[in-house]
Amino acid sequence: MFDFFANPSRFVRITNRLLLPLVIISSVCALIGLYLGLFVSPADYQQGDTVRIIYIHVPAAWLALFGYVGLGLCGLFYIVWRHPLADVAARAIAPVGALFAFLTLLTGSLWGKPMWGAWWVWDARLTSMLILFFFYLGFMAVANGFDRAERGSRPAALLALVGLINVPIVKFSVDWWNTLHQPASLLRNGGPAIDESMLTPLILMLVAAHAYFTIVVILRMRALLTERRAAALMLRPEKTTSRGLT
Amino acid sequence: MIPFFAQIERDLLIAWENRQDLAVMLIFFVIIISLFPLAIGSNVAILDPLAVPIIWIAALLSILAGFDRLFAQDVSDGWLDQVSLSKLGLGWYALAKAISHWLSAGLPLLIMTPIMAVMLNISVSQIPQLMVALLFGSMGLTLLGVIGAALAEGARRGAALMALLILPLAIPLLIFGTLASQSETGIISPHLMLLGAVFLVLLTIAPLVAAIALETGETETGL
Repeated sequence: MFDFFANPSRFVRITNRLLLPLVIISSVCALIGLYLGLFVSPADYQQGDTVRIIYIHVPAAWLALFGYVGLGLCGLFYIVWRHPLADVAARAIAPVGALFAFLTLLTGSLWGKPMWGAWWVWDARLTSMLILFFFYLGFMAVANGFDRAERGSRPAALLALVGLINVPIVKFSVDWWNTLHQPASLLRNGGPAIDESMLTPLILMLVAAHAYFTIVVILRMRALLTERRAAALMLRPEKTTSRGLT
Repeated sequence: MIPFFAQIERDLLIAWENRQDLAVMLIFFVIIISLFPLAIGSNVAILDPLAVPIIWIAALLSILAGFDRLFAQDVSDGWLDQVSLSKLGLGWYALAKAISHWLSAGLPLLIMTPIMAVMLNISVSQIPQLMVALLFGSMGLTLLGVIGAALAEGARRGAALMALLILPLAIPLLIFGTLASQSETGIISPHLMLLGAVFLVLLTIAPLVAAIALETGETETGL
């Protein structure tokens, strides 16, 4: 499986076939999900129309976490097996994951002002999500912090791996501490605690967001691979010029 | 084991030769602490509950500021290459670096702390809690700093990068440390135990992570 994907051109060939179905899934689910979420599903009896922000907030939060798990796994593959695509994948995931983490914080804060009466509270879930965002930024800073780009890959992979500690803390912070943020209502013992009229658009939006995430990561990986290929071609000596003693 | 202690001895010797740097770090610690009362105002009712957090923030910043280019000299003069060829190994080397750095930077800071605590009006009965918590906290921060310095070694703007890497990781130490320092039930509190646990985790992973990171740096600079 690892070796199979080690060949970049094979990776591009496979993802070429995946791309169109993913675009269709993502756009169809997003359209239906947004329509159901914004027009059909009822307003919450307590929260009113502000509840509709969960159709963005929850998928963004899931992807911020899911993206970080991906980043950490890429770090593991890169350090242990030196898998050539793992570094490219990690570099492709990081900005996308960071963006979703930022969206989570932003939408949460927009919802928090009318509901909690504050843009921000230092609650365990919010703080750990903020730290996750910092880890994404740290990863990007290390990965691009060296004069020779590939030199940053290993330190960045190590950082991603160390930062994995934070993922369970974000996920379970609402269970471990008595937080202002409500506990999980989707993935919990006893099934989802949301009414079907809100659950359907939420699940559609989750599917759409995951497909979107995959599309963007694939496109970014292909761009990075092309960049590296271009850089390698630039370094290749011209056949006519002699390179001295080497 | 002899190379391990030789490495510590060498670094302590270098630290003693550059003892002015140590003084700079201590002055930095004192200045950060004295900035807080200037910004907050000298109102005792506001300042007293903040005394322990202020000491912790100042300790965190001044310990991490001391890590700038911890490995730079060893990389540039080839010491690191010699170490990786020797029996010592990079993991033990990183641990030796942590120990010598703590002895030359963390310990003086710890000795300064009671004076600063008195200046901030912390009651004498609270000082033992603060000192014990800060002992583990400073050792944990030193190990984190070794990770950060190893990861950022050779990077552009290494110091800023290191701060970005290390500060999120330092949060558990800060949380448990400040809670343990303010414990009402004697020195041994649950928070102190958690702080100790974080320190032990760092003690096991920091030399390992630093060794892997330095290995890259060492092979890369050898090109």
